[in-house]
Amino acid sequence: MIGAASATSGSVIRQDLVPITTGYVLLMGTLAAGLVRQRRDRAVAAGHSAEPGIAAPGRRAWLRLIGHMAGTFTGGYLVLMAIVVAYYFGVARVSGNFLESAVTGCALLLGLSAPLFLAASWLAERRDRRRDRRGAHPPSSGPADAGRQADPPRCRNLITGVRPG
Amino acid sequence: MAKHPVLGYLVWAVLFGALFAWEGLALSHLSGAVPTLSATFRLITRYPVGRWALFALWLWFGWHIFIRGWHFLLRA
Repeated sequence: MIGAASATSGSVIRQDLVPITTGYVLLMGTLAAGLVRQRRDRAVAAGHSAEPGIAAPGRRAWLRLIGHMAGTFTGGYLVLMAIVVAYYFGVARVSGNFLESAVTGCALLLGLSAPLFLAASWLAERRDRRRDRRGAHPPSSGPADAGRQADPPRCRNLITGVRPG
Repeated sequence: MAKHPVLGYLVWAVLFGALFAWEGLALSHLSGAVPTLSATFRLITRYPVGRWALFALWLWFGWHIFIRGWHFLLRA
Protein backbone atom coordinates (compact mmCIF):
# COMPACT_ATOMS: atom_id res chain seq x y z
CA MET A 1 0.00 0.00 0.00
CA ILE A 2 2.70 2.41 1.08
CA GLY A 3 4.85 1.28 -1.82
CA ALA A 4 2.04 2.00 -4.28
CA ALA A 5 1.49 5.47 -2.83
CA SER A 6 5.21 6.17 -2.99
CA ALA A 7 5.33 5.01 -6.60
CA THR A 8 2.34 7.25 -7.45
CA SER A 9 3.88 10.32 -5.85
CA GLY A 10 7.19 9.58 -7.58
CA SER A 11 5.38 9.32 -10.89
CA VAL A 12 3.48 12.57 -10.21
CA ILE A 13 6.70 14.39 -9.42
CA ARG A 14 8.42 12.99 -12.51
CA GLN A 15 5.53 13.49 -14.93
CA ASP A 16 3.88 16.68 -13.68
CA LEU A 17 5.93 18.65 -11.21
CA VAL A 18 9.32 18.53 -12.93
CA PRO A 19 8.11 19.50 -16.45
CA ILE A 20 5.87 22.28 -15.13
CA THR A 21 8.57 23.67 -12.83
CA THR A 22 11.18 23.49 -15.59
CA GLY A 23 8.88 25.22 -18.08
CA TYR A 24 7.95 27.87 -15.54
CA VAL A 25 11.58 28.61 -14.62
CA LEU A 26 12.59 28.79 -18.30
CA LEU A 27 9.70 31.09 -19.23
CA MET A 28 10.12 33.38 -16.25
CA GLY A 29 13.89 33.48 -16.74
CA THR A 30 13.47 34.52 -20.36
CA LEU A 31 10.93 37.19 -19.47
CA ALA A 32 13.14 38.49 -16.66
CA ALA A 33 16.13 38.68 -18.99
CA GLY A 34 14.03 40.60 -21.49
CA LEU A 35 12.81 42.99 -18.80
CA VAL A 36 16.33 43.65 -17.51
CA ARG A 37 17.57 44.27 -21.02
CA GLN A 38 14.68 46.59 -21.81
CA ARG A 39 15.20 48.61 -18.61
CA ARG A 40 18.91 48.91 -19.25
CA ASP A 41 18.29 50.14 -22.80
CA ARG A 42 15.72 52.65 -21.57
CA ALA A 43 18.06 53.92 -18.87
CA VAL A 44 20.90 54.36 -21.36
CA ALA A 45 18.57 56.22 -23.73
CA ALA A 46 17.39 58.50 -20.94
CA GLY A 47 20.92 59.28 -19.83
CA HIS A 48 20.59 58.02 -16.27
CA SER A 49 20.15 54.65 -14.65
CA ALA A 50 16.69 54.90 -13.16
CA GLU A 51 13.14 55.33 -14.37
CA PRO A 52 11.59 58.77 -14.12
CA GLY A 53 9.39 59.38 -11.12
CA ILE A 54 5.74 58.50 -11.30
CA ALA A 55 3.34 60.84 -9.63
CA ALA A 56 0.55 59.58 -7.43
CA PRO A 57 -2.28 58.35 -9.63
CA GLY A 58 -5.59 60.09 -9.32
CA ARG A 59 -9.00 58.58 -8.84
CA ARG A 60 -9.74 58.92 -12.53
CA ALA A 61 -6.60 57.00 -13.47
CA TRP A 62 -7.60 54.12 -11.21
CA LEU A 63 -11.10 54.11 -12.67
CA ARG A 64 -9.62 53.94 -16.14
CA LEU A 65 -7.36 51.09 -15.13
CA ILE A 66 -10.31 49.21 -13.66
CA GLY A 67 -12.33 49.85 -16.83
CA HIS A 68 -9.40 48.62 -18.93
CA MET A 69 -9.16 45.48 -16.82
CA ALA A 70 -12.90 44.86 -16.87
CA GLY A 71 -12.96 45.16 -20.66
CA THR A 72 -10.05 42.76 -21.09
CA PHE A 73 -11.40 40.24 -18.57
CA THR A 74 -14.90 40.27 -20.02
CA GLY A 75 -13.71 40.12 -23.62
CA GLY A 76 -11.24 37.30 -22.91
CA TYR A 77 -13.80 35.32 -20.96
CA LEU A 78 -16.41 35.64 -23.71
CA VAL A 79 -13.89 34.71 -26.42
CA LEU A 80 -12.89 31.57 -24.52
CA MET A 81 -16.50 30.61 -23.84
CA ALA A 82 -17.35 31.05 -27.52
CA ILE A 83 -14.43 28.80 -28.51
CA VAL A 84 -15.29 26.17 -25.88
CA VAL A 85 -18.96 26.06 -26.89
CA ALA A 86 -18.07 25.91 -30.60
CA TYR A 87 -15.58 23.12 -29.88
CA TYR A 88 -18.08 21.18 -27.82
CA PHE A 89 -20.95 21.36 -30.29
CA GLY A 90 -18.91 21.47 -33.48
CA VAL A 91 -15.91 19.20 -32.93
CA ALA A 92 -16.16 16.83 -29.99
CA ARG A 93 -18.75 16.22 -27.30
CA VAL A 94 -16.32 15.85 -24.43
CA SER A 95 -17.67 13.66 -21.67
CA GLY A 96 -18.20 14.81 -18.11
CA ASN A 97 -19.02 18.33 -17.00
CA PHE A 98 -16.89 19.96 -19.67
CA LEU A 99 -19.08 23.00 -20.37
CA GLU A 100 -20.04 23.56 -16.74
CA SER A 101 -16.40 23.32 -15.68
CA ALA A 102 -15.39 25.83 -18.36
CA VAL A 103 -18.01 28.39 -17.33
CA THR A 104 -17.64 28.11 -13.57
CA GLY A 105 -13.92 27.30 -13.47
CA CYS A 106 -12.90 30.25 -15.60
CA ALA A 107 -15.23 32.52 -13.63
CA LEU A 108 -13.51 31.31 -10.46
CA LEU A 109 -10.09 32.05 -11.94
CA LEU A 110 -11.28 35.55 -12.85
CA GLY A 111 -12.67 36.11 -9.38
CA LEU A 112 -9.39 35.07 -7.81
CA SER A 113 -7.02 36.85 -10.17
CA ALA A 114 -8.76 40.23 -10.53
CA PRO A 115 -8.42 41.34 -6.88
CA LEU A 116 -4.86 40.02 -6.72
CA PHE A 117 -4.01 41.89 -9.91
CA LEU A 118 -5.44 45.16 -8.58
CA ALA A 119 -3.70 44.71 -5.23
CA ALA A 120 -0.37 44.05 -6.96
CA SER A 121 -0.83 47.19 -9.10
CA TRP A 122 -1.62 49.25 -6.02
CA LEU A 123 1.43 47.93 -4.18
CA ALA A 124 3.68 48.67 -7.16
CA GLU A 125 2.39 52.23 -7.35
CA ARG A 126 2.88 52.70 -3.64
CA ARG A 127 6.44 51.40 -3.82
CA ASP A 128 7.26 53.73 -6.73
CA ARG A 129 5.81 56.73 -4.92
CA ARG A 130 7.75 55.92 -1.76
CA ARG A 131 10.94 55.57 -3.74
CA ASP A 132 10.27 58.94 -5.35
CA ARG A 133 9.64 60.59 -2.01
CA ARG A 134 12.89 59.20 -0.65
CA GLY A 135 14.69 60.84 -3.53
CA ALA A 136 15.98 57.71 -5.17
CA HIS A 137 15.59 59.37 -8.54
CA PRO A 138 17.81 62.39 -9.12
CA PRO A 139 16.10 65.54 -10.32
CA SER A 140 16.06 65.83 -14.07
CA SER A 141 17.69 68.57 -16.06
CA GLY A 142 17.62 67.70 -19.75
CA PRO A 143 14.92 68.59 -22.26
CA ALA A 144 13.85 64.97 -22.54
CA ASP A 145 13.16 64.90 -18.83
CA ALA A 146 11.34 68.20 -18.99
CA GLY A 147 9.02 66.78 -21.59
CA ARG A 148 8.46 63.71 -19.48
CA GLN A 149 7.66 65.74 -16.39
CA ALA A 150 4.99 67.60 -18.29
CA ASP A 151 3.02 64.36 -18.63
CA PRO A 152 0.01 64.11 -16.32
CA PRO A 153 0.18 61.72 -13.41
CA ARG A 154 -0.56 58.23 -14.59
CA CYS A 155 -1.34 54.99 -12.93
CA ARG A 156 0.96 52.22 -14.06
CA ASN A 157 -0.23 48.68 -14.18
CA LEU A 158 2.25 46.24 -12.65
CA ILE A 159 2.05 43.49 -15.19
CA THR A 160 0.94 45.03 -18.45
CA GLY A 161 2.69 48.37 -17.95
CA VAL A 162 -0.48 50.11 -19.08
CA ARG A 163 -0.75 53.68 -17.91
CA PRO A 164 -4.33 54.73 -18.46
CA GLY A 165 -5.02 58.41 -18.64
CA MET B 1 4.40 0.61 -17.71
CA ALA B 2 2.66 2.64 -20.37
CA LYS B 3 4.53 3.22 -23.58
CA HIS B 4 5.44 6.86 -24.04
CA PRO B 5 5.07 8.53 -27.43
CA VAL B 6 8.71 9.60 -27.65
CA LEU B 7 8.25 11.30 -31.00
CA GLY B 8 5.46 13.46 -29.57
CA TYR B 9 7.63 14.56 -26.65
CA LEU B 10 10.46 15.25 -29.06
CA VAL B 11 8.25 17.52 -31.15
CA TRP B 12 7.26 19.48 -28.04
CA ALA B 13 10.90 19.75 -26.96
CA VAL B 14 11.94 21.03 -30.40
CA LEU B 15 9.08 23.54 -30.46
CA PHE B 16 9.93 24.96 -27.04
CA GLY B 17 13.65 24.89 -27.82
CA ALA B 18 13.01 26.86 -31.00
CA LEU B 19 10.90 29.38 -29.07
CA PHE B 20 13.63 30.03 -26.52
CA ALA B 21 16.34 30.10 -29.18
CA TRP B 22 14.33 32.69 -31.13
CA GLU B 23 13.85 34.80 -28.00
CA GLY B 24 17.57 34.52 -27.18
CA LEU B 25 18.44 35.72 -30.67
CA ALA B 26 16.06 38.67 -30.28
CA LEU B 27 17.49 39.62 -26.88
CA SER B 28 21.06 39.44 -28.13
CA HIS B 29 20.35 42.17 -30.68
CA LEU B 30 22.45 40.27 -33.21
CA SER B 31 19.72 40.83 -35.70
CA GLY B 32 17.71 44.01 -35.34
CA ALA B 33 14.87 42.52 -37.34
CA VAL B 34 13.92 39.92 -34.71
CA PRO B 35 11.35 41.24 -32.24
CA THR B 36 11.44 39.95 -28.66
CA LEU B 37 8.53 38.09 -27.12
CA SER B 38 7.67 41.12 -25.00
CA ALA B 39 7.71 43.39 -28.07
CA THR B 40 5.37 40.97 -29.81
CA PHE B 41 3.03 40.87 -26.82
CA ARG B 42 3.14 44.67 -26.62
CA LEU B 43 2.05 44.86 -30.24
CA ILE B 44 -0.74 42.33 -29.71
CA THR B 45 -2.03 43.98 -26.52
CA ARG B 46 -2.26 47.34 -28.24
CA TYR B 47 -5.58 46.22 -29.69
CA PRO B 48 -8.61 45.09 -27.67
CA VAL B 49 -9.11 41.95 -29.75
CA GLY B 50 -5.48 40.96 -29.17
CA ARG B 51 -5.87 41.50 -25.42
CA TRP B 52 -9.03 39.37 -25.40
CA ALA B 53 -7.31 36.57 -27.32
CA LEU B 54 -4.27 36.57 -25.04
CA PHE B 55 -6.40 36.69 -21.93
CA ALA B 56 -8.56 33.84 -23.25
CA LEU B 57 -5.37 31.83 -23.79
CA TRP B 58 -4.21 32.57 -20.26
CA LEU B 59 -7.62 31.59 -18.89
CA TRP B 60 -7.68 28.37 -20.90
CA PHE B 61 -4.23 27.45 -19.60
CA GLY B 62 -5.20 28.17 -15.99
CA TRP B 63 -8.45 26.28 -16.37
CA HIS B 64 -6.62 23.19 -17.63
CA ILE B 65 -3.83 23.34 -15.07
CA PHE B 66 -5.73 24.24 -11.92
CA ILE B 67 -9.46 23.68 -12.38
CA ARG B 68 -10.29 20.87 -14.78
CA GLY B 69 -10.71 17.63 -12.86
CA TRP B 70 -9.91 19.43 -9.59
CA HIS B 71 -6.72 17.46 -9.10
CA PHE B 72 -4.60 20.57 -8.66
CA LEU B 73 -1.59 19.46 -10.67
CA LEU B 74 -1.79 15.92 -9.29
CA ARG B 75 -2.93 13.21 -11.63
CA ALA B 76 -3.57 10.58 -8.92
